[in-house]
Amino acid sequence: MATDRPISRRLFLRGGALVSSAILAGIPRLPWFHGPGTGDAEAAIMGIGQELRDVLNEETVNRILVEALAKGGDFADVFAEQRFRTNIVLSEGRIESVTYGYPRGAGVRVCRRNQTGYAFSDEIAYNTLLDAAHVASAVVENQSPVTPIDVTRRNLAAPFPLSLPMPLMDESRKFDVLRRMDAAARAVDPRIVSVRLEYVDEVRDILIGTSDGGYLVDRQFLVGVSCTPTAVAGTERRSGLGTIGGRVDEGYLAAVDPERVAREAARQAITLLGAGPAPAGPMPVVIGPGWGGVLVHESLGHASEGDQIRRGTSILAGQLGVRVAAPSVRIVDDGRWPYGRGSYAMDDEGTLSQRTVLVEGGVLQSYLLDKQNAGLLGLRSTGNGRRESYRKWPIPRMTNTYIDRGVADPQSLFSGIKKGFFAAQMGGGSVDSTSGNFNFAVREGYWIEDGRITKPVRSAVLIGNSLETLKRIEGVGNDLSVEHSRGTCGKDGQWVPVGVGQPTIRFSQITVGGTAI
Amino acid sequence: MATLTPQEIMDRVRTQAERSGAAEAETYLDVVTFREVRVRQREIELIQQSAIKGLGLRVYRDHRMGFMYTTDLRTPVLDEIVNRTIALAGEATPRDENKLPEEIPPPTQELEIYDPSVAGMQLADQIALARAAEENAFARDKRIQTTLDSRCGMQVNEVHFTNTFLGYQTYHATTCWLGVGAIATDGAKKREGYFGDRKRILLDLETPERVGRKSADRALAKLGAASVPSAKTPVIFESEAAGQFLNGLFGAFSGQNVLEQRSFLASSLGQAVASPLLTISDEGLMRRGLGTRPFDGEGVQTRNTLVLDRGVLKAFLNTSVSGRRMGRGSTGNANRSYDSLPAIGPTNFHVERGNTRLDKMVSEVTKGLFVTGLAGFGIDVVSGEFSQQVEGRWIEGGKLGQAVEGVTLGGRLGEMLLGIDAVGNDLEYRSNVCSPSLRFKELTIGGA
Repeated sequence: MATDRPISRRLFLRGGALVSSAILAGIPRLPWFHGPGTGDAEAAIMGIGQELRDVLNEETVNRILVEALAKGGDFADVFAEQRFRTNIVLSEGRIESVTYGYPRGAGVRVCRRNQTGYAFSDEIAYNTLLDAAHVASAVVENQSPVTPIDVTRRNLAAPFPLSLPMPLMDESRKFDVLRRMDAAARAVDPRIVSVRLEYVDEVRDILIGTSDGGYLVDRQFLVGVSCTPTAVAGTERRSGLGTIGGRVDEGYLAAVDPERVAREAARQAITLLGAGPAPAGPMPVVIGPGWGGVLVHESLGHASEGDQIRRGTSILAGQLGVRVAAPSVRIVDDGRWPYGRGSYAMDDEGTLSQRTVLVEGGVLQSYLLDKQNAGLLGLRSTGNGRRESYRKWPIPRMTNTYIDRGVADPQSLFSGIKKGFFAAQMGGGSVDSTSGNFNFAVREGYWIEDGRITKPVRSAVLIGNSLETLKRIEGVGNDLSVEHSRGTCGKDGQWVPVGVGQPTIRFSQITVGGTAI
Repeated sequence: MATLTPQEIMDRVRTQAERSGAAEAETYLDVVTFREVRVRQREIELIQQSAIKGLGLRVYRDHRMGFMYTTDLRTPVLDEIVNRTIALAGEATPRDENKLPEEIPPPTQELEIYDPSVAGMQLADQIALARAAEENAFARDKRIQTTLDSRCGMQVNEVHFTNTFLGYQTYHATTCWLGVGAIATDGAKKREGYFGDRKRILLDLETPERVGRKSADRALAKLGAASVPSAKTPVIFESEAAGQFLNGLFGAFSGQNVLEQRSFLASSLGQAVASPLLTISDEGLMRRGLGTRPFDGEGVQTRNTLVLDRGVLKAFLNTSVSGRRMGRGSTGNANRSYDSLPAIGPTNFHVERGNTRLDKMVSEVTKGLFVTGLAGFGIDVVSGEFSQQVEGRWIEGGKLGQAVEGVTLGGRLGEMLLGIDAVGNDLEYRSNVCSPSLRFKELTIGGA
């Protein structure tokens, strides 16, 4: 499941917090954070994970891991996390709320074959984590103690360089972005009756100690701004969506033109006011670039995740080397894509991120794996072991998943379609990985008539099956775009930020869920 | 920190906020203990056990709001947080309606939302229940050879609350759950079926026999499913699918969405917006309800609100601020945890039981679709559009037939509500948003 909407409470991107010198001048520095707010980027980098390392140094981590494996097990890890989140809502032209959040905690995991024990605490303290290790070890029965390898600090290479990460900017610049977008969206048309803007960012420090000797710390930055204008005419109401963000810096902000994104969102709402009924039933479909990649996320991405493969419950289990898509299709999951919402130096169990080719020439090449499921399958982790927070254990997840660039001129993909559907902008989607049946919503769609894009239509879902839909790809455009400003993926109650992407793609047939037959 | 009780922590934080310049301050503290066991193929696959403790602080200063939350309850950190939250409030736009509620809640009536036998569940009890449920799925049919897993969980929530006007309030609540995802295999085809139950009281929880059996039956019913041709026909949503539909519809009744012009029902108060067969209530005081609590996320007493009375829109649901802005009061629908601001959400939101038996509903349909599950992000309460991926059975000559998948349903929410021509008598409370089965006169199927 993936959504492009701001998600509700207790889900990943809710709340937020980062401290800025701009509005908090004169307030003493928090004892537990050395970085943003000091205005000293150098100090910020030096201090990564410092607060966590003060309690969880190499020696205490070793002792916790000894306790974790005291009853046996294949491996164990300690994971500690602290986040600063900022959330600003601007609605009806006013700053409705400003929220800072500071969640922190740590957990201990013990794994033996397919079995996992996990316990966490909101308190980061040696004794508490020793207890957690003891609780987690309860999953292992009747085994001999295992001695973990002493941990050693390892350094990480950032997946891409950032100048000043957006979350570290002065608070006043964050308010300024929202106000500019609000004004730009309103100015588009008097029928724009309300605009809601939400800004969320976070700085996440993590520390991981593993029983195979790893001791790693990292700091991850993330920001997302959504602009939702609503247009009303008579009894018709439509909303549009525009987003900016990702793991981005001030260079990105200077280049992205937030006003243009806001105007585009307002234009979308206005365009849809005149929309007629969408078609129903199977027909040729063209899907636009960027967030349209939600299709590959749902259709192939989830089914390739190692937990369902190992259990044999995915439709792609045992399909390595088998044709799953048209021969022109390459599908990639890239954990190091620049600015990607799903990018990171290491995953949440300490494996370095990588670029994994899932499909080459239409043939399935690889699965997405975490340590435990890789071990059970006799394979190596692909750096896809992710967790929502210290309150959860790692499971295999996507990072930034996309269908790679093709050769077709995007315009040429419409020619020859007598009657079809063009999905210019997509919404969220979901999949049942056992059957492979998936769906994804269309935000902005049009009829295609005689090779031309014509009338806008009301929103509708598109549906397909993992083993069929990707084989129906007839043309892949040369306009690849990977969306990094929206995308939150939910699985088994855990929500993580992801990127998706694709160029313009034409399908011979997809079923459209409209009302016109 | 270890020596302070939740009440002491909150009183300290609130008093300090008031002393430091907040005209009004509210603290909300969650303490949650939780354990879940997952069994798969007769083996324990996961044991998770945890304790959560977090504090949220909301302040108003000159009608400007500030909010901050943390799980770090060390004294110096809390002191810092108070200062920052008050500074933060200076950044927000003032609003006259920004005020904390002053309403004094009545003495708590007996809601039966806490069960000591849930709080006292042992790891071994949970393992046994999860194992038994999975075993019953296997025993149902030889085509059930695997499961996604079988889960048994328990949770105890303690909520502690105080604001400048209301003083200290608290309540405890328990939840337990049991569910199985069964997989039916027929040759190369696999289909999953899920059934689960969730209750406040352990004795109310479905037995492992029924949970296992029903999950197996749901998986088996999907074998051999195929698409059907596109058509406009009558459609029945079986109760669980009707509950999913109602959940998607909830935002249309949110006062905040109405204020922001983001509900297709925004200008319909007092009008007939649905079939006279349809009555919808939000019952915060329902005995043993999964959404029941004595007071909401900002200390307002919960209550029962009639939202839709025989098709007529009677009320929107509100927090104190949105209620004041609409010229009405709060309906006690402020949902939150420590880490979020109060936002409008359901308590026990449901369609009232009707009087038609499900088999009668089916027998009256010559050709149509019986929907057991909905999927997708296609319920848009702003525009009133409805488009979903669905699965279920085909109805032919008043009887359930061929299993159906690979089809969509499309319609407009306004027309759908008016077109409901039967409401089932089969309402069951397995979620805090639920509905009996509903029959719609005509929807569009997008199929083969």
